Amino acid sequence: MDYGIELKEQEAVVALRGRLTFNDHAKLRALIREMLQNPVKRQVLELGSLEFVDSAGIGMLLIAREEMGNADKKLVLRGAQGQVKRVLTVAQLGKIVTIED
Amino acid sequence: MSTGATALHGPGLTPDRMRIVAAACGVPRWAPRTGSPAPSASVVVLFSGSDDPNAASPALWMPPSTAWIDVTGLSDEVLGRTVRLAETHDLYLSLTTRLANELHLAGRIVAAIDARRPLSEHRRDDLELALHEAVSNALVHGNLQVEGMKGVSMAALDRFSSDLAVRLADPVFSRRRIEVVLDFEHGAVVVEVGDEGRGFQLDGRGGHGASGRGLGLISTIAESYELLDGGRRIRMRFAL
Repeated sequence: MDYGIELKEQEAVVALRGRLTFNDHAKLRALIREMLQNPVKRQVLELGSLEFVDSAGIGMLLIAREEMGNADKKLVLRGAQGQVKRVLTVAQLGKIVTIED
Repeated sequence: MSTGATALHGPGLTPDRMRIVAAACGVPRWAPRTGSPAPSASVVVLFSGSDDPNAASPALWMPPSTAWIDVTGLSDEVLGRTVRLAETHDLYLSLTTRLANELHLAGRIVAAIDARRPLSEHRRDDLELALHEAVSNALVHGNLQVEGMKGVSMAALDRFSSDLAVRLADPVFSRRRIEVVLDFEHGAVVVEVGDEGRGFQLDGRGGHGASGRGLGLISTIAESYELLDGGRRIRMRFAL
């Protein structure tokens, strides 16, 4: 998985690309720390270019949400497609995290 | 099932080792570059370890390849037995944890299934997820004995990340093997994924915290699944 962060006035947009699996633990640690450090409250994970997510990837998204909540920030998942969209649905992530199309 | 017309292909092994292995398992060698025609039935591909560059070559994962074995740590006798076992299944893999983790194994297995029983894109995605979850469980929790992320916190992620790196760097754990066995049936494929860990018990707490969703995802995709050998092996049946 690769990511790029674009800081806007109202939100930070983090574009995830490729595959998000248990092997991406180090990248997710770095990403969550970057999201905590930037000054914006609304942190949007743009998932349109993410091709595959596994159960550990879902777990790491939940950790990101929790850490944002603890820092009075808000995590939004946006634009999931295909396999990623189906896994978010099956794992019922919408009950816990804000998901936008 | 095997017709017996099997050949060995080990581009990363020395010719001497290949000769010995071929004699030990009674299977002829196949070297495509010498111009010999592809054997009609099946090719057992041998890898020399996680640094064998051939392992990542997509062509070696396509027909006529039907079995993939990492020879790391295997005596000639055990390797011979493994090759003969592979011949009794439609598709067979026995790899070290390190190599399996580097290969994106689930995607390769799905491509091998798709080459024999073409799948829709949607079904391919679902099968890849289910197989990836089974393989990840075998590698991470089975062979590497790394516990899942217990809490929903950075501390849990940091601990998981550090344990995984330490265990992957330790040959005692990273050389443990994962075995994948596939057999096609009418309208279905049965896949077993086995590891060499301590096994585990379902405790009914799946789906809480940041870990524990893998079996739940498998159950939504597979027609059925069962845990065998004290949790060291999962057998899944997928409609095709």
